[in-house]
Amino acid sequence: MEEGGVNVIDLTQADESFIKELKELGAEELKECIQCGKCASTCPMALAGLEFFIKRIIHAANLGLRDILLEDSSVWGCQSCNRCVEVCPMDVVPYEVIQAVRRAAIKVESCPANTYEGLRNLYKFGHAVFPKGFEERRKKVGLPEKPPTALSNEELLKKYREVLRQTILEEIAPFPLD
Amino acid sequence: MAKIGVYVCHCGENIAGAVNVEEVMKYAETLPDVAVVRNYLFMCSDPGQDIIKQDIKEGKVDRVVVAACTPRTHEPIFRDALEAAGLNRYFLEMANIRDQDSWAHWHDKTGATEKAKRLIRSAVAKVRFAEPLEDRYGEMEKSVMVIGGGVAGMFAALDLANMGLKVYLVERQPSIGGMMIKLDKTFPTMDCSACILTPKMVEVAQHPNIELITYAEVDAVKGYVGNFDITVKKKARYIDWDKCTGCGVCTQICPSRVPNEYNYNMDQRRAAYIEFPQAVPKKAVIDRPNCLYFKSMEKTGKPACEICKKGIPPKGIQGCPADAIKFDDKDEYINLKVGAVIISTGYKVMDKTHFKEYSPHSKDVVTAMEFERIVSATGPTEGELKRPSDGTKPKTIAFISCVGSRDERYHTYCSKVCCMYMLKHARILKEKYPDIKLYLFFIDVRTAGKDFEEFYVYTRELGVKVIKGGRVSAVDVKPNGKLRVRAFDSDLCSPVELEADMVVLATAIEPPAGTEELGRLFAATCGREGFLREVHTKLYPVETAAKGVFLAGCVQGPKDIPESIAQSRAAASAAAALVIPGKIKFEAIISEVDREKCSSCGVCVPLCPYGAIRLEEYKGKDKAYIEPALCAGCGVCASACPSRAITFHGYTTEQIMAQLDALTEA
Repeated sequence: MEEGGVNVIDLTQADESFIKELKELGAEELKECIQCGKCASTCPMALAGLEFFIKRIIHAANLGLRDILLEDSSVWGCQSCNRCVEVCPMDVVPYEVIQAVRRAAIKVESCPANTYEGLRNLYKFGHAVFPKGFEERRKKVGLPEKPPTALSNEELLKKYREVLRQTILEEIAPFPLD
Repeated sequence: MAKIGVYVCHCGENIAGAVNVEEVMKYAETLPDVAVVRNYLFMCSDPGQDIIKQDIKEGKVDRVVVAACTPRTHEPIFRDALEAAGLNRYFLEMANIRDQDSWAHWHDKTGATEKAKRLIRSAVAKVRFAEPLEDRYGEMEKSVMVIGGGVAGMFAALDLANMGLKVYLVERQPSIGGMMIKLDKTFPTMDCSACILTPKMVEVAQHPNIELITYAEVDAVKGYVGNFDITVKKKARYIDWDKCTGCGVCTQICPSRVPNEYNYNMDQRRAAYIEFPQAVPKKAVIDRPNCLYFKSMEKTGKPACEICKKGIPPKGIQGCPADAIKFDDKDEYINLKVGAVIISTGYKVMDKTHFKEYSPHSKDVVTAMEFERIVSATGPTEGELKRPSDGTKPKTIAFISCVGSRDERYHTYCSKVCCMYMLKHARILKEKYPDIKLYLFFIDVRTAGKDFEEFYVYTRELGVKVIKGGRVSAVDVKPNGKLRVRAFDSDLCSPVELEADMVVLATAIEPPAGTEELGRLFAATCGREGFLREVHTKLYPVETAAKGVFLAGCVQGPKDIPESIAQSRAAASAAAALVIPGKIKFEAIISEVDREKCSSCGVCVPLCPYGAIRLEEYKGKDKAYIEPALCAGCGVCASACPSRAITFHGYTTEQIMAQLDALTEA
């Protein structure tokens, strides 16, 4: 982009190691993609108008465009519906590419703030989505205050946190793991 | 008096759907000389033909009118039926009440029925005057000339020779091998091109039925199918090939260095040279315009250099050890008689200079054919990948497809092989240099062919970058000597650019120089794009408009090696089917001159589109003569002859007039 053209993508900036990294992070069949677009025609991200939907994510990944991909938050919009995996004719497992890009992104803290909120909840309560005041609402409809998950079993929750502390979360969590 | 049978075909619903067959039949019964009128659902079927045969055999009918479809497809069938029943096969007339009537007037049933009556009336009027005609046969020369010694020509020659036919293989260059021998590897099998082709070249050269005539061109053509009389010009070699052993001494001691066209001028050869190391025949030639002997002889009349012949004795350098140098060699013209011809003169690739937007002045922008030579072990760098400008190893290479193809300014067609050879180049490089960065810019990737798509996917897996929807708009040379490539990536939905060390242009495949002229010698025509044209794309893919002249390989249009070979073997088969029976059938429906009536005006001679008419001495005067083998039965001469000296058999004046009268009658 030496001319200051903001819209031109400079392929020379491609980072070959990014492709390798994604492969190691689970996008094993990345290079099989022939850009047929079948995934994009079923992807809710594409339908919702996100700039980097699955087909473009895979292409940008294959071109080694690390910065472009990690600076964009589209990848976090994936709903994990797995339709792409169902329809992909080349068995690329596109969802795995999304996950790999997310893994790469989180390693360099390139993710939206609510991602960390979710992570903290996951670590603390065993639930990524943890709306406040749920106890009241459960009581109103005649349910026990806490759901029958780790949340209602302090012993289990401890063990669960122990497991999480042995994962990469230990390195990347921007909050204290007690 | 003739006994005419009229047979009305329903053609299923095709005719009966618009024409009232009952009414037409009743009408036909009233026509003069009509003895029998019948109808059938499909007259062309076996039972339909049997009806006609039966009537002929029983003596009820001796002239036949079939009111059905087009004579173009069905006349031969009904003629055979007549012949099988013992009647002259030309006592047949077809009234085309389908293509020219029921199909054209489908919504006007009354009109269609009236027109059918008229067409039948006209056919009946004509067949009353039918004359018995005989098919004639001429002698067939049992040999074939194959022009162009590339892979297509070689395979055609081998097949014909293996069938026992004499084959003359004429090649413009000193060696056979054509374009394929210049390729490094071939897709999709990645066979080494030279490794699979050289054994075939040797087989061609050693085949007892093949006479190999290289460094030669077709100069003139006389005659016609079955009896072509072709003059071949063998260019002066200035080296006696009977003596030359191919040792290569002259090619090393000759002091005159010139750009080597075999390697697209990327290195040099001498004025005395052998085309390439595996040349067949492995013989040297002297390139006269660049030879110092001839240059000095023309200027001063004295030879300034005879090193190839005499060597440099003071330095102990010997000249040609076989004493084969022959400065007084001359072009030689030889006449060859053949029954059929296969043209397989191949293609050439477009030059890069047309494409100013791609910086053709840069040495690092090369055509795909040049790149093929760069990666070839027999090329200018002996197979080592080097940037032409500075000899460094390129780290990033961009390949650009459709350069001059799919482009209204140059060629509208797809050159067909470029997508695949770009992938092949990528694969050759990636397998040799895994770290090299390769960007392939396509409009779209076309990989229709056996094992091609798999080749594409495999190549992508090697890490080759494929940019689609991205015809490159510009290649600029940057101050640092690198090349900036600008394109659009439709998968990224964004303009992109790339800094590359080398750019390879997949320039279009074009007909080689002289294709039209060569075609004209044989009366074979070229299509809009300049390739020689087949008679029918589907049904007659190897035949040309000229009888006995067949096509093989890229001279008919871009194709890959498997397709070229398939077509060349098809052409060999078609030529053999023509030549092997040893007889050539001449049309019975041809024109004939009554020399007594001919006034020698000669107006018919230039009018004939087939070159079949010439003036010939007859009773002391030049009179028109029509060569039956060449006459295609178009009738132009008969209609133009002011003395009415030309009879067009099957369409005599009497017949045509009767037909017209019947048509125009109220």
